[in-house]
Amino acid sequence: MSKFFPKVLNLIIFFIIVLQTFIYYLNTKSSTKVFSQKSVSVENFSSIVLSKSGMTKIGSEKLNKVDENNISLEGISYLENSKYKIYGSNIFIDMENDVSYSNDDVEVINSMGILNAEGFTNLDSEGKILFQGKVTFIRHD
Amino acid sequence: MTKYILILFIFIFKYAQSESYVKAGESLIWDSEKQSYTANGEVEFQNDKFVAFADEMIAEYIEQKNKEVFTIVELFNDVKIEFKDEIFKGDYAIYTREDNIIRLTGNVSIKSPTRLLTGYELIADIDNNKRILNSADDESLVEVLLDNNAKN
Repeated sequence: MSKFFPKVLNLIIFFIIVLQTFIYYLNTKSSTKVFSQKSVSVENFSSIVLSKSGMTKIGSEKLNKVDENNISLEGISYLENSKYKIYGSNIFIDMENDVSYSNDDVEVINSMGILNAEGFTNLDSEGKILFQGKVTFIRHD
Repeated sequence: MTKYILILFIFIFKYAQSESYVKAGESLIWDSEKQSYTANGEVEFQNDKFVAFADEMIAEYIEQKNKEVFTIVELFNDVKIEFKDEIFKGDYAIYTREDNIIRLTGNVSIKSPTRLLTGYELIADIDNNKRILNSADDESLVEVLLDNNAKN
């Protein structure tokens, strides 16, 4: 019995060393994932973006970059292109899906008239703007 | 003095003209690809001819000289159209700008200071000041010509 004991002990020590080496390898292995969370805010911002409606000028009192595809326009904000001019506040823009929306009062001017509503969702890729709440659309005469 | 009178006249004339508008109580969708406006909930539509009320409205437009012009206006459910001293009612109405005709269907009525007529279909020809009222069965037809034949 005493003859085998040192051999068994050596074997156990060997396994422990191998296990520790493996744990060390896993802990020191570099991750391939990159986590980045950049928060960018710009005040009195204006810029031009290219969308389906063409060149759209956007501007606001404060722009917050939520992530790579989403921005929020804080305070008095606008979207202007050849089809429409949207004036409102707190507008969110999903650049990837060409969608912008706001739940605040909005005024839109197009070639037919002036429209006031209690919020909007602009599905630019579909060429549709949904206005919510009470809507008044007065035509240019 | 003449200048002030002229300015006053222009001001009065401008505000005497009827304003064209669309009002919606719930929502309005502007579809620039289909060239239409869809309004929902207590819809009110006014042009230079009449004022219309309904639950829903779909108005198609075309672009003329960089301006959008309504060509067809459809009204759905509880339709009421006020044209001068007449009131047209129906379940559905369609107005075509090209011929200036309003067609109403489903429980229609035409009310004026002197009469109230009901039927299934009403065709109001605005330019020719003519009203045609049909009942549900095509056999009976009432044609009403207004006394005043003046063009509107």
